Amino acid sequence: MEFVLTQLSGFGGAFLDLSSDPVTYIYLISSVFLGIAFGALPGLTATLAITILTGFFGNKIPLDYSMIALLGAYVGAIYGGSYPTILLNIPGTAASAATAMDGYPLAKRGRGGEALGLTTTASLIGTLIGTVALLIFVWVLLLVSKNIASPEKALLALFGILLSGTLMSEDLVIKGWIAGLIGLAMAMVGLDPLLSEPRYTFGWSYLLSGFQVVPVLMGAFAVPQIIEGLRTMEIGKMLQLEGRILPNLKTIRRHMPTIARSGIIGTSVGALPGVGEDVAGWVSYGVGKSVSPDGKNFGKGSIDGLLCSETANNACIGGALIPLLVLGIPGSPPAAALMGAFTINNIIPGPTIDPDIILRVVAIMVMASFTMAIMGLFTARVFIKILRIPQTVFLPIVMVLTTIGSFSVGGGINDLYLMLGVGFVAYFMNMLRYPIAPLVIGVILGGLFDETFRRSLLISEGDLGVFISRPGATVLLVMIVALVLSQLPLFRHLFARIRKKAV
Amino acid sequence: MDDHVDNTNDIDDIAVLRARDFWAALVLIVVSAFFLWRTSYIPLFGDNRAGVSSASWYSSAAIVPLGVFSALLILSIFLLVTAIRAGGAKTALTAVGIGWNRVEAIRFATIGIIIGFYIVGLVPRVDFILCSGLLITALIYGFHTGNPRRMITSAIAMFIPALYALAMHLPQSEWAAPHDDDWLTLVLWIILSGIAWRGPRDAVARAIPVIAIMAPFILVCAMAFGFRQNVPNRSGLIFSQIEYQYYVNIRPIWRD
Repeated sequence: MEFVLTQLSGFGGAFLDLSSDPVTYIYLISSVFLGIAFGALPGLTATLAITILTGFFGNKIPLDYSMIALLGAYVGAIYGGSYPTILLNIPGTAASAATAMDGYPLAKRGRGGEALGLTTTASLIGTLIGTVALLIFVWVLLLVSKNIASPEKALLALFGILLSGTLMSEDLVIKGWIAGLIGLAMAMVGLDPLLSEPRYTFGWSYLLSGFQVVPVLMGAFAVPQIIEGLRTMEIGKMLQLEGRILPNLKTIRRHMPTIARSGIIGTSVGALPGVGEDVAGWVSYGVGKSVSPDGKNFGKGSIDGLLCSETANNACIGGALIPLLVLGIPGSPPAAALMGAFTINNIIPGPTIDPDIILRVVAIMVMASFTMAIMGLFTARVFIKILRIPQTVFLPIVMVLTTIGSFSVGGGINDLYLMLGVGFVAYFMNMLRYPIAPLVIGVILGGLFDETFRRSLLISEGDLGVFISRPGATVLLVMIVALVLSQLPLFRHLFARIRKKAV
Repeated sequence: MDDHVDNTNDIDDIAVLRARDFWAALVLIVVSAFFLWRTSYIPLFGDNRAGVSSASWYSSAAIVPLGVFSALLILSIFLLVTAIRAGGAKTALTAVGIGWNRVEAIRFATIGIIIGFYIVGLVPRVDFILCSGLLITALIYGFHTGNPRRMITSAIAMFIPALYALAMHLPQSEWAAPHDDDWLTLVLWIILSGIAWRGPRDAVARAIPVIAIMAPFILVCAMAFGFRQNVPNRSGLIFSQIEYQYYVNIRPIWRD
């Protein structure tokens, strides 16, 4: 009980501090607005919103404002994806893909206003559930993570890269692993972290400091999207927004069990390293379909179905921040972009993070979710107008934003060359259905893996047994081995046979 | 029969994907083998490393890269085997296997030229407002309707000033001045805007000049004077004037 009270008073202090500063609201309102607009425009994603804002706000303003801008955009963009999903049947972001199943049929029946209102409320409650989980679990895990040493850190980084590669592959799992390894390989460029030995610099002094995170983020997430999006897209006829947007409290109360369940599912999925909001939405939708009394109507315009995905994708945000803040492993692609922003602010997420930053993150999340809800309920028609802008008009502006954002982070023109190179490689990887997020996670965690792996070996004087000498490390190693083995054809056949016998 | 689902497109997609996987695996094998060879340049056993004399293999900076590139090589071989088993090698050299599409190839090549020459040729050498204005005009005009002729026109409009800037002012010492490349970029921008204006004057066509001027202007001013950050080519034709006016005439208004 004392723990909870301490937490709440810490959160209250941070909340009061931030909410009493008028500048907070300037950043909060503008970033949430930008986030919703990015989410609402098909072709722009939450990851892209954070990536671009990192270039602008990453290290140029005080840390509090920088976090407000980035977290506000994150919360707004995940919610904003529901607009085109409900009114156009085109998911604004991948996170809203499951929303289309019931959102569009509802709008077709003239219940678009009701669907948007409920989506907004569900997103608010979902974000708050994720934030409460963040406030509680981050501290429990931080206590545990104090005992984490180099072997565990190295294995955690490897596990994060492999897990994101496994779960994010649309085609072969091996492609996700290759993407993660390419990211790890990119992190090897520059002076090594222990002995300052130059690696793969080819005599170019710029490469001595390694690949910078922001140009890699811009290249990996923005450039392929610009190349892919610059094509004529016939946007279908937008459905008229009918009915009132402000939700009925009775309806919300009736669907509260669905919202609560979806919030817990979204937070749990988000807490898995490397798994994003889209997976959270689908998992919650799948569970809802099998347990909800309205399950048979899922896909035909069910309110329950709509709430399942929309609550979960926003709850995923809080969940995705748990491994990011506690372990330094991003829980989703936007969280990977957020980690890049933390890194350029000299904040190293992980067991050594300043607890005050976590409290501020929680306070910002609460403020951002209420700002999002107010904007969603009262200015929805503004965002619906934004939906009409063709992507061939806004993507060229995104290219200019990306260029100036990447240039100003510090590396100058060389950062632009790096962004361009990474961008074209990422485009081809997208074309060949390689997931890009594991590559970025590999670049971000590569340095940590390299340093902690070699430090473990140095401490143990080359004894590889150091990776099974501690309980935490042993568990992680077993999980990594199990993850790899579970994807080998031989073991998959074996598992399938065992399952058949059990049935 | 109603349950029949036409999977032909899926099967074709997989065939194209495996053929591309075949090529990708070969590229990955070559790249990982190359970097494994480069890793041999980093001392592994018993050398003096960065002034630290240590004979142990585990303190070497080559250990992790060796593992990463070896794993990449092994996975690439797995991918190659998977692609060959799925028939990727057989279709690898056919148009279907490569997935060749003329319009898509023109689209990608022209975007590549526009973005590539913008970053490599224009941004370092030409005023940021001018080159970004040309970029925005070229991308909206070229790709809004999906007409390949427009794409090629846009690519040419970007290519000419970028090539000129690269040819005449390649070394970094010549990036700041003179402004001949700035003027050429401005001329090409005006010409392309004129071409865009001659076409059907829909809402997008009317918006192009406004967006092309306002977006880079606001961004560069916000970055330079709002966030006080470095911006590309401060001595560019237009930005140098803006900066002069800002510090000499505008800023003193509130500084005094």
